Amino acid sequence: MEEDCKPLLSPVRRGSYTHTGSTDSLDRAVRRPFHVEPRNIVEDAASERVTAEAAVLSSRVHYYGRLSASADRLLSPPDHVIPCPEEIYVYSPLGTAFKVTGGDGVSKNPSIITIFAIWNTMMGTSILSIPWGIKQSGFTLGITILVLMGLLTLYCCLRVLKSPKSIPYIDTSDWEFPDVCKYYFGTFGQWSSLLFSMVSLIGAMVVYWVLMSNFLFNTGKFIHNYAYNVSISDTDFGTNGSNRVICPFPDTGGDGRNASGISALYQLSGGNSSYYGNSSYYSDYYYGNSSYNGNDTSDTDLFDRWWSKTNTIPFYLIILLLPLLNFRSASFFARFTFLGTISVVYLIILVTMKAVRLGFHLEFHWFDSSEFFFPEFRLLCPQLTGVLTLAFFIHNCIITLMKSNKHQENNVRDLSLAYLLVGLTYLYVGVLIFATFPSPPLSKDCIEPNFLDNFPSSDILVFVARTCLLFQMTTVYPLLGYLVRVQMMSQIFGKHYPGFFHVFTLNVVIVAAGVCMARFYPNIGSIIRYSGATCGLALVFVFPSLIHMISLRRRGELSWPSAFFHSLLIVLGVANVAGQFFM
Amino acid sequence: MSSTAMKKKVLLMGKSGSGKTSMRSIIFANYIARDTRRLGATIDVEHSHVRFLGNLVLNLWDCGGQDTFMENYFTSQRDNIFRNVEVLIYVFDVESRELEKDMHYYQSCLEAILQNSPDAKVFCLVHKMDLVQEDQRDLIFKEREEDLRRLSRPLACTCFRTSIWDETLYKAWSSIVYQLIPNVQQLETNLRNFAQIIEADEVLLFERATFLVISHYQCKEQRDAHRFEKISNIIKQFKLSCSKLAASFQSMEVRNSNFAAFIDVFTSNTYVMVIMSDPSIPSAATLINIRNARKHFEKLERVDGPKHSLQMRMR
Repeated sequence: MEEDCKPLLSPVRRGSYTHTGSTDSLDRAVRRPFHVEPRNIVEDAASERVTAEAAVLSSRVHYYGRLSASADRLLSPPDHVIPCPEEIYVYSPLGTAFKVTGGDGVSKNPSIITIFAIWNTMMGTSILSIPWGIKQSGFTLGITILVLMGLLTLYCCLRVLKSPKSIPYIDTSDWEFPDVCKYYFGTFGQWSSLLFSMVSLIGAMVVYWVLMSNFLFNTGKFIHNYAYNVSISDTDFGTNGSNRVICPFPDTGGDGRNASGISALYQLSGGNSSYYGNSSYYSDYYYGNSSYNGNDTSDTDLFDRWWSKTNTIPFYLIILLLPLLNFRSASFFARFTFLGTISVVYLIILVTMKAVRLGFHLEFHWFDSSEFFFPEFRLLCPQLTGVLTLAFFIHNCIITLMKSNKHQENNVRDLSLAYLLVGLTYLYVGVLIFATFPSPPLSKDCIEPNFLDNFPSSDILVFVARTCLLFQMTTVYPLLGYLVRVQMMSQIFGKHYPGFFHVFTLNVVIVAAGVCMARFYPNIGSIIRYSGATCGLALVFVFPSLIHMISLRRRGELSWPSAFFHSLLIVLGVANVAGQFFM
Repeated sequence: MSSTAMKKKVLLMGKSGSGKTSMRSIIFANYIARDTRRLGATIDVEHSHVRFLGNLVLNLWDCGGQDTFMENYFTSQRDNIFRNVEVLIYVFDVESRELEKDMHYYQSCLEAILQNSPDAKVFCLVHKMDLVQEDQRDLIFKEREEDLRRLSRPLACTCFRTSIWDETLYKAWSSIVYQLIPNVQQLETNLRNFAQIIEADEVLLFERATFLVISHYQCKEQRDAHRFEKISNIIKQFKLSCSKLAASFQSMEVRNSNFAAFIDVFTSNTYVMVIMSDPSIPSAATLINIRNARKHFEKLERVDGPKHSLQMRMR
């Protein structure tokens, strides 16, 4: 007797002799709902609700479904057989019918929303390092590099966006860039794109830890000073007056600068450098002295000991953030993405207000450096390119972001507009901070990798900015941790949540990296430029160019100028990384 | 005595992955007895057999590892397999990149058939046509058909193009079964008479095992050209569900204010479906008519039976 319970067809491994479908057991193609025949067959409907072919296919599909197990792909209708979305209706047993409104279940957004989403995703903490980057490379060269890097990364992003479409014979509608790398380069491509993507994510998480420690420190200090009515006039070297700008590390600011603060002080009192501002900054400087009201020096010392930016706060953050990292799903944190937008907008307003109050201080020395200014072209420019690579980095998720664009033919235009907006934002913030940095008393060298550090902790506007950013980062940090966890766990163990122990170990490793960096090397400029250049090497410069050249070659359309240009891109990417280490 | 002499083989052959098992499942669902590896450990061939038309056994040959198969088994045991073959159905995958190899196997089969069963009917199915672009399908099929006709001489082969995703599979198998029923023209004329007598709108004759429509009569044009395939699939689904409950389907009546449909066992090989659009005729009348017609049609089949077996014994 035959076994009636067993499906009649054994599942067949599709792969060796068919070119359709993937050998992946997960059904990643989105199956559209197919119409259910109307049960009411009595009435002679005047108009056919579905075509006869669709009706027949429906009954065929029902029958085939009974012949094979439900999870089996052997007799599931291939995509070229299912009628187009215009012919698909969904019937309810009560008699109403509605059309499936096109698409694969992904909601389609108008262009403006897509542009905004891309802008929002790209705007990260690297905006805080742009003034420092411009300082490191020189004003003119910095602006030029910003524009050029924006264009270069835009071109590479377009290459990434178009790469799945040039793959023949395979349905790549749900592929992301790592899948494309896997197609062209095998498992090496898959693992290396994953690795470099991890570099960018973990680099961002380390930067977040350093910044969060910084902001938490300053917030706590502000509250403490406000509560205890401690007025710290000038513990740090800086300008005087109501718009105070400080230089936290006068003799270690910037690489290779050896003017000490004291010598700068003496030069200041007799200096006659011209400046464009109209407030007088030559006043008494208290360098290294602190004047406090009252005699709670010991309490302040105690406070300073237990509330230190590098020694204790990174550890306090563990208590707050490590539990958040262990959440199973990150959808709760995804709701707070609007905080990022608010923070960036507030930063722009803040920068504008500071610029209005401080005025412009620009001097153009083309190739020589003066005591307050730098030449317009500096050899440290690779540092800016490293920062900008991470600032303009969205290549690992651009395909997914663009998929929800309603008019796909406008993808190139929308992406270019988004990059233009991002570039303008960075340019605005960077140029304004750099230009309005009060240079006669302070040298441009004092611009910190995190420009908010140049404002004292008693500044109200900046305090609000720091609190906003702190809160925003606390909600983005678990999201980033979730992304890292999902990608690593699914590659290594095959599922998103293999077990609490595995996930916890990963989180401890990431948090430990952040804490160590915050403790020993809290220079976010360096962290950003190293991680940016490294992940940009693979995902921005090398892989998109290589893939484009290979696909052109396979089609026989590779021309010499195109090959030269793309090889040049690869060389630039390598030079970018090399420059970080040597400059 | 006639039953054993009448048992003939239907060979379903083709390269591995060409779609034989899918076809077999779709057409012959629920009547499959697995007989795997009957021929020993050295040869990796999967065998199944299905009975249909009462006295025909469909022998499914799944040709696996090509070269070993051809070299060893095909030469040593071919007489056993290729004797008493009534029908050879050979399946070609239209997407196959090894056309030369396919033709080579096909010709080896034909040689064996010529030697052992020269009267066998040969059908060639060019399968998976849905993977070809619609505007090229006719052209590609015509090319293949010419090649196959040429290669099959002196045997005559009938070619069909099929895909499980459209009605061509169904039509091809219906045509094949149609040619296998011994007295099908006579059945058709009698069916028409029967339908006109009982004033039916449409009468369908299904083969018993597969529910393939082998003959039909309609008094006026119907709207849905795909109705045969739909009915076939629906009844096969229903039979599958019944068998899951260890029940077997025998007859069905569907009635509403506009029509009445009757599906019932007819002869030993067939089922009949009668559709009456006059609701005033009571069901009992139609059922009596069907029962009386059954006796008549069985006589038809039995009349030709002994003649056929006589021919058999003389061979």
